[in-house]
Amino acid sequence: MNTPEPRPVLVRNGDGFDLALSPDERALLATIPTQLAGALGRVGGADEDLPEALRRLFPAAYPTDPAAEASYVSLVRADLVEHHREALEILATTASATHLSDDQLGAWLAALNDLRIVIGASLGVTEEMTEPDEADPRYSDWLCYDYLTYLESLVVDSLAGLLPPTAPTADDATPDDPWGDPPGGLRWDGTPQRPDP
Amino acid sequence: MGAGPAVDVAPVSGEELRVDRPWLVIVWNDPVNLMSYVTYVFQKLFGYSFAKATRLMLDVHRKGRAVVASGPRERAELDVARLHRHGLWATLEHQS
Repeated sequence: MNTPEPRPVLVRNGDGFDLALSPDERALLATIPTQLAGALGRVGGADEDLPEALRRLFPAAYPTDPAAEASYVSLVRADLVEHHREALEILATTASATHLSDDQLGAWLAALNDLRIVIGASLGVTEEMTEPDEADPRYSDWLCYDYLTYLESLVVDSLAGLLPPTAPTADDATPDDPWGDPPGGLRWDGTPQRPDP
Repeated sequence: MGAGPAVDVAPVSGEELRVDRPWLVIVWNDPVNLMSYVTYVFQKLFGYSFAKATRLMLDVHRKGRAVVASGPRERAELDVARLHRHGLWATLEHQS
């Protein structure tokens, strides 16, 4: 095997992460958040007026209680819109950075997730969905969605490494093991394999 | 273990019990959010261990929904708002 190891995209360095992306990736990440942030700037009226894909960013807290839902919306909606817009703007303005602070990478995660939600909703993504044919009009959106999924996975893994350790509790006990014990190493939930009885 | 302090337990009427019913924070399955992302959000927001967060995530994924927290209404509503900031499909329900 002469193929060189691919350069890792995110590497912990000091108070943040070094970021290695291609110019094409950076161009994409500088463009699409701006489009969504612009669309969010027009959010304000009734939810019924929002495009279906955007509505997915604002789930109902009380789906069966219109009065409680109206009061929840009046309490949190403006903040929520601003939170999404801020994260998208940080992603767009730091798309060419080679080093991100932990907070900036946190904003990347929020923005990548928002973009996947909106693009996924407009694609009609389901858990069973596979790559559409190249002739499919959704193909370019799918490629974008697929790339964002890949990048978000890397960002989640990097940020999960920063979570503080938790003391084990009785609550950790796993009632069942969906995939069974592997032949060696760690079980699905990261705990050591149980000894043979 | 010694005996604990004696506590007078007042009988609680059915009405009072209903008042104390907690509000449940429910997260619903959706086809977009990544399993690793959902686990991470549960850990980050609620301080759950990886094992507990993973179990809740799998409940959401396989059963369609999971109760991820519960408590007084104000607290539960704040949790729902924090989950919405993270793009999770969360709702609030008064325990029956």
